[in-house]
Amino acid sequence: MLWSVPLLPLLCALLVYVYGRWCRRAVLILSAVGGVIVALVLAAVAIMNDWGGSYRWSEALVLTLKLSTPGMLFTLAVPLIALPIVVYSGYHELPRNTGREGVGGNGARLVALIVAFIGAMQLLVLAGDLLTLLIAWELVGACSWALISHHWGERDIPRDAATAFLVTRLGDLGLYIAAAAVFAGTGSFGYTALGVLDGGLLQVAAAGIILAAAAKSAQIPFSFWLFAAMSGPVSVSALLHAATMVAAGIYLLARLQPELAAVVWFMPLTVTIGLATALAGGVVATFQGHAKKLLAASTSAQYGLMWVAIGAGFPGVALLHFIAHACLKAGMFLSAGLAERHAGSYRLADMRLGRRMPRVAVITLVSSLALAGIFPLGAAWSKEQVVSAASHQSLWLALLVAVAGCLSALYATRFQLLAYGWHERDGLLGSRISSVPELGALAALTLATLGLSLWWSPSAHQAVIEPLGLSLPSGHLWLLALSLGLAVLGIVAGASMVRGERSTIPHGWQVHAGEWFGLPKLAQGAAATTLTFGMSLARFDDHVVDAGLRGTARCARWLARWNASRAEWLAEGVPGGLSRLTKWGGQWARQAQSGQMHHYYSGIVVGFGLIVVILLLGAYL
Amino acid sequence: MILSTALALPLLGAIALVGTPHISALQARRVAAGFASLSLLALVVAWMGFDPAGSLFQHVDEVNWVPSLGMAYRVGVDGIALVVATMSALLFVAAILYPFDAGDQPRQYYAWLLFLQTMSLGVFLALDLLLFYVFFDLTLVGMFFLIGRWGHGEAQTAALKFFLYTFAGSLLLLLGIIGLYLSLDTPTFDMRVLIEQQPLAGTGLYAGLIFLGLMLGLAIKTPLVPLHTWLPPAHVDAPGPASAILAGVLLKMGTYGMIRLPFAMMHVTFAHYALPIAIIALVAILYGALVALGQKNLKRRIAYTSINHMGYTVLGIAVAAALVSDNQAARQLALTGATVEMVAHGLITGALFLISGSFWQRTGEYDLDHYGGLAHQAPLLTGFTVLAAFASLGMPGLAGFVAEFQVFTGTFAVYPWLAVLGIIGILITAALFLDMLRRLFFGRLPSHLGEFPELGRAEWGVLAVLALGIVVIGVSPRFLLTLIEASSSVLVGGR
Repeated sequence: MLWSVPLLPLLCALLVYVYGRWCRRAVLILSAVGGVIVALVLAAVAIMNDWGGSYRWSEALVLTLKLSTPGMLFTLAVPLIALPIVVYSGYHELPRNTGREGVGGNGARLVALIVAFIGAMQLLVLAGDLLTLLIAWELVGACSWALISHHWGERDIPRDAATAFLVTRLGDLGLYIAAAAVFAGTGSFGYTALGVLDGGLLQVAAAGIILAAAAKSAQIPFSFWLFAAMSGPVSVSALLHAATMVAAGIYLLARLQPELAAVVWFMPLTVTIGLATALAGGVVATFQGHAKKLLAASTSAQYGLMWVAIGAGFPGVALLHFIAHACLKAGMFLSAGLAERHAGSYRLADMRLGRRMPRVAVITLVSSLALAGIFPLGAAWSKEQVVSAASHQSLWLALLVAVAGCLSALYATRFQLLAYGWHERDGLLGSRISSVPELGALAALTLATLGLSLWWSPSAHQAVIEPLGLSLPSGHLWLLALSLGLAVLGIVAGASMVRGERSTIPHGWQVHAGEWFGLPKLAQGAAATTLTFGMSLARFDDHVVDAGLRGTARCARWLARWNASRAEWLAEGVPGGLSRLTKWGGQWARQAQSGQMHHYYSGIVVGFGLIVVILLLGAYL
Repeated sequence: MILSTALALPLLGAIALVGTPHISALQARRVAAGFASLSLLALVVAWMGFDPAGSLFQHVDEVNWVPSLGMAYRVGVDGIALVVATMSALLFVAAILYPFDAGDQPRQYYAWLLFLQTMSLGVFLALDLLLFYVFFDLTLVGMFFLIGRWGHGEAQTAALKFFLYTFAGSLLLLLGIIGLYLSLDTPTFDMRVLIEQQPLAGTGLYAGLIFLGLMLGLAIKTPLVPLHTWLPPAHVDAPGPASAILAGVLLKMGTYGMIRLPFAMMHVTFAHYALPIAIIALVAILYGALVALGQKNLKRRIAYTSINHMGYTVLGIAVAAALVSDNQAARQLALTGATVEMVAHGLITGALFLISGSFWQRTGEYDLDHYGGLAHQAPLLTGFTVLAAFASLGMPGLAGFVAEFQVFTGTFAVYPWLAVLGIIGILITAALFLDMLRRLFFGRLPSHLGEFPELGRAEWGVLAVLALGIVVIGVSPRFLLTLIEASSSVLVGGR
């Protein structure tokens, strides 16, 4: 029965794709929303009735679905967060119907893929074994490839989509290896089998899982693929960052943390990767001049904080921060999409739309403050929980996390002030009025962000924590004060950074820092090297490997020619010579037949003499 | 009798076509498709009647021929042979139905295709070594004429190269077969006797030489790096449907032969050489993928991915033969995966080559740089190509994944390092297919492609059937795996 939760959205996606092109926009969006709502209701029913499911491929390969704590949280959160995004994408990306004809193939494909994406994500979070997980994991990657390349007609976009797909698939390889290691050790693929795995194989599995999770949730050194993914439509970015693709990485770590904690280096490595990404991502976002890329870098950084929480032994904290982040980041992306329609581009330097879009500016301010970690918003509480979790490992770690929080306050301020500042620019290119459903979607997400403020009340967060069986770290009051103070400091720094006219546009080394310190260049270099290597191997194949064959053929031809000339002479010569010899012998013999008696007599005498000589030789030898 | 029926029908069709001189191209295609479909139907019936819990070989027919020499007409199937043969028959029906302009000799074209179908099925259905060899060689004849007469570019040269190279392989195979035959106490060509008696176990150098002959002969057909250079020109200059048969059916004879002859009949020797063969397979996987990435020609690119994919199959076979660990479940998984790879590659690459045939019929051009931006112009063509490309790069939910996942998982349990290195192949494959899709369908539409026609009904109908097969195997492969495992468990466990 649990299968219905992922399969229903997938089926709905298929129907939308096939029939959607002839529907009007509202009908299309309504059916997509219906599919997502049914998925949500089914998920809730599944949790209440504790559904499960398995599907047998063969003796060794069994696909299983099973509910787990992170799984339950995600299976509800994913469609909930996706819902406003689906509405927004319909009204933002699809053309307004004028006549009777439908939205066309492109629009239907976009909506269908978004719904399919949600279905694949549901499969991912409900998977009960590594094989099912791997299937969903790759499907999510394929969906994101198709969504990013939505505007396939433009030159660079298909290339960016391929980059995003290949980088995340590099991570998928880790999951292949992890699944193989678990099978090699236990003969099955179940998550529970990880618990009974010993020594070396468990380490291999842990390494593979970390690789897969790091690539998906855009941690260093894979973080740059999110920049390439920014070529997709803005609603796709919102979905990718808040609910699906990137979220898959953190889900996996939270799900398997109990099993993998037995590996000595697993927790320290998770903390290191997360912290490095949180700090570096903060710097990148600080010096990034492209609205979506700023948000993308911020996503990497925020997921880095979740990694730290998991590495510190508190997956529950990571899950809560995930929810808070999902609401605020989805809202900010949708808002950036609206801003782009007004400004004509995503260049922050061209925006300052506060006067033009006061309502959006105020709504976005809530999300920006949440990202900055300002009391009393829910994201601030979950971030402080990450700081407390880190303090359980070491005080220095907690301080570094607080510094990462300070950076997020800085770039959140920068985003808000540059995008929605009051000093209006001249010559804005776009001039589209935001529609009510778009604003409604944005408002819904912002309301959720506001609602999460309840987490600051102990009774409210206990209500979330206890039924899920999660634990929270105990914190120090002074650490909380210090961390909140750092967030305020970040806001001040961000505001002063924006005030200087020159510094709004990054220059010099800042550009370098804003582009992940050259990571994309490095990856491009690696890709180009592989391609060059492939091409030289192709030449090698044509000229060297095939040369053996051509050489054999040449050799055979030469042999044939040699045979035709020399050997033929020999072959002709020997029998020819023999026949000439015979002929000559015949002529000679005929000459002997002269008809003159004295010739015959002398011949007889010679012959008689020869016989005598032979007899004598026979007698005496 | 059902297998003999499946074998005889296409040949009868070929004779019928040869015997009716006044027949239009369309009629010839219909007649050919009818006979080919009946043959497919016979195999489906055989599939239905196959008992996975029964003996290894079923549906056996046997007619004595030269009893004193142990020669007989013997046909029969195990699960592996049956799935590969059924896939082949399906691909023949697809290749015949796929629209192709055979010039003024359509009758001969379809007759040769039907002839080739009987010979190809014969390879998979034969239970007699000599019969196997005869069929194995006669496929060359059929393909030689299909490439040489209906190919384009330097078709004659390519056909000759293909024929001579693979014929040289056949001769090595023949030496091996004779060696096997002579090693029996009462010589017979019956495969079942050879599998049961394992006559060459523990005979050192002699067994090694026989094994080398068999493997070299089969490796040329597969083809394994570095014995593959006949493949790209044969593909590039062959007509689309013949290319599909060449990649989908003829290449399988190499790997199928490896399972049937050296793997089943001399497992001790195979176990001894399993690691070197696995390493060669790994080289084929990576080399094939990288060289494919470096190709600018659509058909050459797909041809080299065949080398990569057949590398997975050989890797699976070699792992299944290895005896370094007693992990029988893993070895069985590898052999099952190798067989699924044969079926999956047949359907996927068959579809890709049919598609490239459609490109050629429309523009006469294989250069990737010639194309671009076709997604809007030809959405169906784009859709089927994207599906086949993703299946080929191992996307879950499609057939290739079921195969490759099993091969890698099995390999990891036996040779972990080979699995870790080999898995890089699927990343390169992903890169080369995404690049191919981008260059064919995305970006701006060049002005000279403004009139590029969408797939016709017959074309997308055939592709839809192949696509359906790819998806069904990817989502619900149980019907296939049950049959294959019936044999792979016996072959792996019976040692």
